[in-house]
Amino acid sequence: MTPQGESTVQEKKLGDHIVTAEKINKTFSNGVCALHDFSTQIRRSEVLVIIGPSGSGKSTFLRCLNGLEEIDSGSIVIDGIPLDKNKKNRLEIRKEVGLVFQSFNLFPHKTVLDNITLAPRLVRRKSKETAQKLSMDLLRKVNIHEKANSYPSQLSGGQQQRVAIARALAMHPKIMMFDEATSALDPEMIGEVLDVMKTLAREGMTMIVVTHEMGFAREVSDRVIFMEDGCIVEEGTAEHFFSNPQKERTKLFLSQIL
Amino acid sequence: MSMKMGRLSKITRQIPDRSTLLDVTKFLIVVAALSWVMARGTQQLGYNWQWYQVPKYIFQFHDGKFSAGPLMLGLFMTFRITAWGLALSMTIGLLTALLRLSDAFFARIIARGYLELIRNTPLLVQIFFLYFVLAPIFGFNRFFAGVIALSLFEGAYLSEIFRAGIVSIHKGQWEASHSLGLSTFDTYRCIILPQAIRRILPPLTSQAISLIKDSALVSTIAIYDLTMEGRAVIAETFLTFEIWFTVALMYLIITISLSIVVNVLENRFRIQT
Repeated sequence: MTPQGESTVQEKKLGDHIVTAEKINKTFSNGVCALHDFSTQIRRSEVLVIIGPSGSGKSTFLRCLNGLEEIDSGSIVIDGIPLDKNKKNRLEIRKEVGLVFQSFNLFPHKTVLDNITLAPRLVRRKSKETAQKLSMDLLRKVNIHEKANSYPSQLSGGQQQRVAIARALAMHPKIMMFDEATSALDPEMIGEVLDVMKTLAREGMTMIVVTHEMGFAREVSDRVIFMEDGCIVEEGTAEHFFSNPQKERTKLFLSQIL
Repeated sequence: MSMKMGRLSKITRQIPDRSTLLDVTKFLIVVAALSWVMARGTQQLGYNWQWYQVPKYIFQFHDGKFSAGPLMLGLFMTFRITAWGLALSMTIGLLTALLRLSDAFFARIIARGYLELIRNTPLLVQIFFLYFVLAPIFGFNRFFAGVIALSLFEGAYLSEIFRAGIVSIHKGQWEASHSLGLSTFDTYRCIILPQAIRRILPPLTSQAISLIKDSALVSTIAIYDLTMEGRAVIAETFLTFEIWFTVALMYLIITISLSIVVNVLENRFRIQT
């Protein structure tokens, strides 16, 4: 595990910064401060894992990167495009950033295949045939192609989440974000989703993963951020986190979840 | 989420088949009681029933050819009014719902103002206002005035049904759609409305049935719909009860056929989700 992790880290140091978030602040209308002067940069092909207690702002950060939440101040630049009030920029960024949700959010009235072909056809303007071929390839990749004509309600949680991953990949995003993608799954289904995520990581996809799966963090992450109250408490490699955490708060959190 | 919903709908579908016998007995008792009341009522009324006169006002038979009687002509007019009324009121209802849900303050105010104004005044007054006040100014005919008044009235109610359906769709559907880069328009068109319409089909049908029945009110501005033709025949023949019952039956036939069509649609949609 470890040698592979290190070799990829060295390779990835060549990548330039694809995400630059600087001093972003986000306070919800109910007064809860989700992000407080949060800054970080992410390189191409980097796998960043964000951990932290609930309400620490992990999910909010992902949602801000994708424009689902508007930031109050600070700046986000993704692949050279600033995420601002400009609707066109936001749309461009959403095309490049895939997001996988904790609750899958598949479209229940569409078949698995239609769920996946929808965005490529409407947003990327692909023909029906091209989109379907692409979708079948992706379904094969997440190992669920025999369910192409089923409806989401006919699938298990793990299968639904793999479809959701394929749906996000169909837009050919440059970055994939996972918002507690395995938290809503039955234990025996977590593995099949994590396997897909690991494959993506090995293929060099830039990934931002909010998760409680420490095994995943240890195996494929290049960097781990521990967050609390909208700030970074500690960051470093997975090795650093699991063998030698510095801050008391980090130690406490890790002792609770490991 | 959707798995849970699937289980729920299976449970609700199992409930209806307990005690069919009891339901049938109850129904027969109610029918018997009603028939008795009807028989007693007509006896005491001392009314001279002349049902044999009715068919010629529905169909006429001349020189080996059928032609429509006044009631049938009235029915066609009612069809025309309700068809236009349904199409227009659905459009108005959907647009109003979308305006009320939009981010623009001004759009929300307009939609809210229209809704409250129309919903809180009588339809009859609105029909008179459109026909006697606005029609002479803008020069439109009574059919147009009737259809517009009906559509504006029903559209207000429909907009609330549409809005309820749209907001009932889980926020995650919006987020998934937006995160894939779909525009708000495409999200409504491909994700939100197809799901919302399935949910609101039952109240939508009720409102469509209301529209069919409310269309009788356009007879007040002398549009020869089913009700107006019925009144004309009664004025000529004094067959008050026979004609009114026939007219009611004809309305019933339209509304029940509509219910059946919607039921078939509902079942077809349900199988898919």
